[in-house]
Amino acid sequence: METLLETRNLSKRYPGVHALKEVSFEIERNTVHCIVGENGAGKSTLIKILTGAIPRSSGSIVFKGRDYQPRSTNDAIGAGISFIYQELNVIEQFTVEENLNLGMEKSWFGIIRKDRSSVSKFEDILAKLEPGISLSQKLYKLSVVHRQIVEIARALAVNAELIIMDEPTASLSDEEVKRLFEIIRRLKGENVTIIYISHRLDEIFKIGDYVSVLRDGEMIATKKLADIAGKSELIQLMLGKVVATRYVPNRVDESVKVFQVQGLSTDKLRSISFDLYKGEILGFYGLVGSGKTEIARAIYGIDKFRQGKIVIDGVEIRPKIPKHAIRRGLAMVPEERRQEGIFGILPIKDNIPIMNTKKIARFGISSAKKERAVSIEYIDKLSIAAKGIMQEVATLSGGNQQKVVIGKCLNAEPRILIMDEPTRGIDVGAKEEIHAIIRGLAKGGNSIIVLSSELPEIVNLCDRIVLLLEGRIKKILKNGEGIDTEEIMHVVTGIGEKVR
Amino acid sequence: MIENAVPVHGLRVNRSSLQKLIIVGIMLILVIALSLLSREFLTFSNFSNVTRQIAIVIITGSAVTLLMISGNIDLSVGSVVAMTGVLVAIFSSRLGIPLWISVILASLFGGVTGSINGFLVTKLKIPSVIATLGTMYVARGLAYVFCDGKTVNLGLPDNFRWLGGGFVGPVPIPLLLTVVIACVFIFVQMKTLLGKYAYAIGGNKVTALLSGINVNLVTFLLFILSGILAGFSGTILASRMGVGMPTVGIGFEFDVIVAILLGGTSLSGGVGTVWGMIVGAFIVGLLGNGLNLLNVFTFYQSILKGIVLVVAVVLDITLKEKLE
Repeated sequence: METLLETRNLSKRYPGVHALKEVSFEIERNTVHCIVGENGAGKSTLIKILTGAIPRSSGSIVFKGRDYQPRSTNDAIGAGISFIYQELNVIEQFTVEENLNLGMEKSWFGIIRKDRSSVSKFEDILAKLEPGISLSQKLYKLSVVHRQIVEIARALAVNAELIIMDEPTASLSDEEVKRLFEIIRRLKGENVTIIYISHRLDEIFKIGDYVSVLRDGEMIATKKLADIAGKSELIQLMLGKVVATRYVPNRVDESVKVFQVQGLSTDKLRSISFDLYKGEILGFYGLVGSGKTEIARAIYGIDKFRQGKIVIDGVEIRPKIPKHAIRRGLAMVPEERRQEGIFGILPIKDNIPIMNTKKIARFGISSAKKERAVSIEYIDKLSIAAKGIMQEVATLSGGNQQKVVIGKCLNAEPRILIMDEPTRGIDVGAKEEIHAIIRGLAKGGNSIIVLSSELPEIVNLCDRIVLLLEGRIKKILKNGEGIDTEEIMHVVTGIGEKVR
Repeated sequence: MIENAVPVHGLRVNRSSLQKLIIVGIMLILVIALSLLSREFLTFSNFSNVTRQIAIVIITGSAVTLLMISGNIDLSVGSVVAMTGVLVAIFSSRLGIPLWISVILASLFGGVTGSINGFLVTKLKIPSVIATLGTMYVARGLAYVFCDGKTVNLGLPDNFRWLGGGFVGPVPIPLLLTVVIACVFIFVQMKTLLGKYAYAIGGNKVTALLSGINVNLVTFLLFILSGILAGFSGTILASRMGVGMPTVGIGFEFDVIVAILLGGTSLSGGVGTVWGMIVGAFIVGLLGNGLNLLNVFTFYQSILKGIVLVVAVVLDITLKEKLE
């Protein structure tokens, strides 16, 4: 038994967010060490520090008995720590050999020179991992798992002793997962240690030796998987005690169905049906890949759907572009704030009024005065901290950017507001403010759909909770004092019936 | 909750006003230098001469600026100028259509080219550089086909030269047209939803779509406008020369794009002004004119133009960084 890596009081602070709090744990050599935790628990922060992508705020790391301070991912690779990216980091048009060689090509004044010794090294590595892959194959012809194996081979080619895998099975079939696990087991025998990150708890029990649980940036426990009774114990460790302390029931008018979705199906969704009542906050909860965002996108006219009906106030709509949905009283706060929510290089005054030009323009000519008035109205209403309406939105803090997006949507005066991850990546204070805004909207008789991967957010806000698993609705729960978060976790992780 | 504006280094400059300062500064330096070097430079007749030369750059550039603000580009305008120049000559001579109807018809042909560009970009999702590069070749070819490769100069009506060479009082007609069109587009850019949507699409196409902007429709419209104004410019050029020629306008698209870039429009969209493009066009026009007056050989003129473009953009970037 030998410790390969150890962290001591490792911390990471961002302005307003304490992402990692005094994390101390050890990884034993030649084991598969799993790391689990909810979204935002600090997994990716920890990994980014280990791979040199971001610097730590304080604390120390010891790797192979020596102090380890990577300043870049190259430093980490040089030290023997490689990372297999979730989105595979290969060049599809290149051959396997070219990919393995990338950045390490031997050359003669810039002319690439074939290097016999590295070719035979690659051949050895591949033969061990997967004899079915030949060096001359182009990457785009390989299956996903084979591409992943090429990435693993690349890590081995630079003599990695610790390989970090982030959700490696996210896009693999069951067969491919088996294949990957075989390889992982073989790697353990080749003096390679694995850090394995996954939401799929089944896999963790299958492949892991140890598991470390992170929650809210803190290391809750590191245990041998053999010592853990079952998934429920692990889930309990992950979630801690989630209580709906802040949940206040809204005055839901169940006689008025403002919005109905019936049998909505796309490539990723299977017959999604639900109703939304007047004054209700309806939550959607599920893990990565459960189809939350896909539901929002289909309703809002971004993605086409194969089958199903969307009904607003008893009238069916078929939005081809979001404009049609907005006209019928919908608005959406999208998941990716920077890429989908704001116009970063434009000032606030060109962001907030844009969804409702009737308020600022007549006959296609807009009034600077009205733009100003609308912008200031929402800056005040939502307490957006800004220098003025001319400030470029990209220069605001994350929480204030999100408020701009919310202001933009509220200005459209929607009756149904869809919010996809309304508080992702923003600090605690802004989070509370946004929750207060959402509750205020419901109180005003609006209906809100909240899609979130943070369970506390869901149970503290929503009147009913729709639980999703792999593109299907598994259960719709009514929120209240007795809400059982353990049951929720069982449903969304696919354990099915609760086992005590 | 608007915080008190904190003055930066005791002086508050916002980015767009800085942009204006820099580019006008460059133009002023150019005017002062050239008027010191050449006595003929600072005269009314020379000024009217310059404006006649850059008139079509500004007219076409007005629409193309909006298009570039939306993050697209139109490389076909030079060929459209040649095609509609040939067409207006054919319409008004061989077909005997009254001049003003010929001008409208020819401009509409420009609009058709624009709508094809718009279709390729919005429906077939081809990047605008490639789509308009294609129509650039097609329109140039059509210009040759329509006139069988020969200059159209016979049977043109007496008033054919009016549009490009006429005067209202002391003011050349192209100057008048330029002022009217430039004003319209400054208004469109600053005051209308079309202008606002162009910035929004160039600023972030996905956000624009999710905010309820019909991105395809707006982009399509901007391409049509660009085509119509390039088409109209072609008729002005043909009228100024008094012939329809399929070889004109080669490299014109780059004159337009250079003026727009000098004017502070970003190639990636979301930033820029029509007003800046006009100053940019003047910088290029005055430079060429001044060098002509100084008897600088055209080969060297091209070299200097290239240097001015790069220096202006570098100056813009470095000054902005220092002041921000």
